[in-house]
Amino acid sequence: AKEAVMAREHDPETSVHVFMMDMRAFSKGYEAYYQRAREQYGIQYTRCRISALREDPESHDLFVRYASGQWPGASGEKELTTDHSPLTTDSFDLVVLSVGMEISEPVRRLGRDLGVELDDYGFCHTALFQPLETSRPGIYAAGPFREPKDIPESVIDASGAAAAASALLAPSRGRLARFVEYPPERAITQEEPRLGVFVCHCGSNIAGFLDVPDVTAYASHLPGVVHADHLLYACSQDSTATIQRRIAEHNLNRVVVASCTPLTHAPLFQDVLRQAGLNEFLLTMANIRNQCSWVHSEDRQAATAKAKDLVRMAVARTVTLEPLTRQTVAVAEAALVIGGGPAGMTACLTLADQGYAVHLVEREPKLGGNLRHIHTLLPPSDGSPAPDPQRLLADLEGRVTAHPRITLHLEAEVEDVHGFVGNFTSRIRRTNQPDDSIGHSVLVVAVGAQEYRGPEYGYGTDARILTQQEFEARLSSTADGSRGPRRVVMIQCVGPAEQTCARTCCATALKNALRLKDLHPASEVVVLYRDMRTYGFKERLYTQARSRGVVFMRYDEDHKPHVDVSRQGPGVRVTAWDGASGETMAIDADLVVLSMPMVPSEGSRHLATTLKVPVDADGWFLEAHVKLRPVEFANSGIYLAGAAHYPKLLDESLAQAQAAASRAATILARPTLSSGGVVAMVNEAACVGCLTCVRVCPLGIPVVDAARVGIGGTMGTAYIEPTICQGCGTCVGECPAGAIELLHYRHHQVEQQVMSLFAEPAVGEAR
Amino acid sequence: MAERPLHIVAYCCHYCAYAAADLAGVLRLRYPAETRIVELPCTGRLDPLEVLHAFEHGADGVMVAGCLEGDCHFRAGNLNARRRVGRIQELLSRVGLEPGRIEMVNMSSAMGRQFADAAARITEQIRALGPSPLYPPIHATAAAPDGAPPS
Amino acid sequence: MIIAEQKPFEEIKGLLGEAEKVLVVGCGTCVTVCFAGGEKEAGILATSLRMATRIDGQPKDVTHQTVQRQCEWEYIDPLAESVRQADIVLSLGCGIGVQALAERFPEAIVVPGLNTSFLGLPTEQGVWEERCAACGSCILGLTGGICPIARCAKQLLNGPCGGSQDGRCEIGHDTPCAWQLIYDRLKAQNRLHLLLEIQPAKNWSTSRDGGPRRITREDLRLAAEVSE
Repeated sequence: AKEAVMAREHDPETSVHVFMMDMRAFSKGYEAYYQRAREQYGIQYTRCRISALREDPESHDLFVRYASGQWPGASGEKELTTDHSPLTTDSFDLVVLSVGMEISEPVRRLGRDLGVELDDYGFCHTALFQPLETSRPGIYAAGPFREPKDIPESVIDASGAAAAASALLAPSRGRLARFVEYPPERAITQEEPRLGVFVCHCGSNIAGFLDVPDVTAYASHLPGVVHADHLLYACSQDSTATIQRRIAEHNLNRVVVASCTPLTHAPLFQDVLRQAGLNEFLLTMANIRNQCSWVHSEDRQAATAKAKDLVRMAVARTVTLEPLTRQTVAVAEAALVIGGGPAGMTACLTLADQGYAVHLVEREPKLGGNLRHIHTLLPPSDGSPAPDPQRLLADLEGRVTAHPRITLHLEAEVEDVHGFVGNFTSRIRRTNQPDDSIGHSVLVVAVGAQEYRGPEYGYGTDARILTQQEFEARLSSTADGSRGPRRVVMIQCVGPAEQTCARTCCATALKNALRLKDLHPASEVVVLYRDMRTYGFKERLYTQARSRGVVFMRYDEDHKPHVDVSRQGPGVRVTAWDGASGETMAIDADLVVLSMPMVPSEGSRHLATTLKVPVDADGWFLEAHVKLRPVEFANSGIYLAGAAHYPKLLDESLAQAQAAASRAATILARPTLSSGGVVAMVNEAACVGCLTCVRVCPLGIPVVDAARVGIGGTMGTAYIEPTICQGCGTCVGECPAGAIELLHYRHHQVEQQVMSLFAEPAVGEAR
Repeated sequence: MAERPLHIVAYCCHYCAYAAADLAGVLRLRYPAETRIVELPCTGRLDPLEVLHAFEHGADGVMVAGCLEGDCHFRAGNLNARRRVGRIQELLSRVGLEPGRIEMVNMSSAMGRQFADAAARITEQIRALGPSPLYPPIHATAAAPDGAPPS
Repeated sequence: MIIAEQKPFEEIKGLLGEAEKVLVVGCGTCVTVCFAGGEKEAGILATSLRMATRIDGQPKDVTHQTVQRQCEWEYIDPLAESVRQADIVLSLGCGIGVQALAERFPEAIVVPGLNTSFLGLPTEQGVWEERCAACGSCILGLTGGICPIARCAKQLLNGPCGGSQDGRCEIGHDTPCAWQLIYDRLKAQNRLHLLLEIQPAKNWSTSRDGGPRRITREDLRLAAEVSE
């Protein structure tokens, strides 16, 4: 869908036709994307198997032959649906094959060399309960090497594997660390600006396309500049030593380096300033390489003039810079994990095994969460028998209960959370006991999800209509030799899952169908589905189920099955429209099993408000970035694991719990946190307490504090805690009183930089 | 007299647009030399008053470049910026400048090509509008405009 | 809070006439909060006027200052020198601020940059709604805390008129019927009996109809110092 949408965005004239067997838009937000692709971008989807693809020898167009058309009554507009209708041939300019991921030969070789077990296709074998551990202790696997997967899951795997590895390394943590000593910082605020400008040749990268000596000479005459020099490579060791020496010789108190980009090199030059006893915020880099010499290589004169402008602007800004201090905050030693399901327990154990104290808060009297309802698991891909989930539960529960570094708070809920990363204080409300208060530096949200229980398809009116969870419980308590149901109908995509795919229901349905076939081979199973979204290795279950005689009938959203509970008779009458034949069929079933999706846990919205973290429209907790920061919130120090993020299978939850613990450990491993620097600061004397910053801040950090006195003696002005402000400046742009400054980007600092552009003739003008 | 070169201020967010501009360099793409990038931590920092001051002092055009919508490092800074750019366009038209002198674009840090294209396109757009009637500024020095707080 | 909005730019330019030196005075209270005349809006208006008048070919010298509250003598007194140097003062205060400046600086020409709209609150960022009409005799205790004077188009006292449709006022679909709100709220609180009592015609003498109003609190007035 993404490539199709991008093709349309690139050229709206392109028409895109996707041929598919099933749409596997299984993860968070995928279904919505698929809908947008169809409705907004007009991408056409056809369910079929292409029977022929050939090239027209003259036009070189490609002909695709496939079965298409629609049966009477089918909703042809949204999706073409059929299997047996007449063949159609269409011509295309380009055919893109969407092929699966496979393991390349060098990777297989690597696997063999490492001595880890691989499956027949070369994927690395990992156990269901230790999803990131290979068969060889101390070697971990992450990403598509385990199973084909998307970026978020790969990133999660990687963090989780890092956690597993660092548990082994915990005893030697910090042993190889060395600390840099800096000279004390010179106080410069009372001094007149004395700038040094260092222009870099970057070999020929800059000097080859603009006149470096000319720029240097120009810089030396700018106001505030007392020294200007050019260096072959400003970042080389002898150059940085030169810069340090010049700072001392000329008593410089601010520095401009005109060279490459600060995104890569600011840390290096900031360090040079610190070595020379200057605050790191007294540096500006003028980007005369990436944003000048490299892009204007065809016009030396224009590039030179632009470099002069950029240096002049950097100098104007630098004159206004002030030293900023970062505060160090001691990090509390404990972590708080909310939710005692498999994800929560795994996060606890991962952290505790790395040596950190952990508090686990669970609102039920017992640990386990949804794992209590899981009685069988999908068989592993290597064909070995599926492990017993209740054994995992007992194991996790036993280890959590016995772990000396884990404090359990059962029948307890987090009431409110104060403070910020490194120093949270949470009040825990406990049943029949006084409230408790816990100090912690990080927090992991692992509150899970719960099975939806709605009135769809007559649920709740007839004992023969069950959810998958109820069905699974019944299967697990089936005595050997008992008589099985004659026929079971499963209905997929129930209730909320009509709109968004809940990811796990298909696999759960197949698991239970296969389990039923194991127990009672004579039982018939009919699965009424819209798309089978068995992603990754779960596809094998689908194949297996079909080969074992499970009947699959596709319906579409305009032809939902109907369950008739009023009808007298031996079974429940299910009327279903079959996409393959276009016929409506009546099926009498002993049991109707509804694949109810997992939905956010009760109380998760309330918890989100308490923690000031976002949830999406459906109530799932919203991570900071889908791909880059999949297990953390934008709010520092709060992490996310398990089905609270989106419905997940057990191994995915465990991997994500390890990942969340891994990210949390990056805070716990430090004795102190440094914060501040580029943060917003309220000028109380100008603040009117209008609440604009409170409303506009993406992280909910500003508060209006009644104890602070604002403009004209009004009660209450805004306060922005510098240790948690992330420094985006949105409040500054919005404040109607002009009462907020973003340090390092103060109004006059940004304005001086811009105004200096107009103070001199621009590019190419005679000087 | 030769045509006066243009002054185009490009306010770029740190995480996406500034990085995209760097990438345009790495890819050795070419675009007109009139843009002057001013880095901001996030386009959410964009202050309409500062932008108006830039126009008052003779900016011929302003480009505001932020992250893709939905991908802001700070969640919604770019959406706030888009709203403010809309307001600035209204303010420009009421003072008698063309609203097309300011435009907001969105890109990820991987979109170096898009940065170069946007810079080229906006430069052409400004060139078509002609130089700002407000250049040179009345105060030729880079003195702090009124309203700027003392340091 | 007083809610105001800026006058159209052309109207403001018209009010300034031929004056060359313009002092824009912002106010740091209500009109800051409703984004009409705070420090930032005053700055934006000043730079806009400088640009517009330069483009028109008759550049004005426009500066701006913002005071805590334009409706207090002590806060506006420090403006005296700037006001004296200006040809015209453009107040971005509410109607009270404009008059305070005019009263305190008898020689100055003071013109308003805002239309003072109503007394209300922001129901969300960027949306303000009227809540009070300053009628001088509050009946909110009888109407469930919802004011029919400020919020009913007809200022009815004994229930809705025939224009109330589906909870909406006939003057516009965006306006809820105040009496529907009153009824719903009292019903939810089991206090509908309050509505059984017929309210007599309102005495409007405490309102604007009684002429300009004034409140004197002798207990607060400072005694004149006794001279020897």
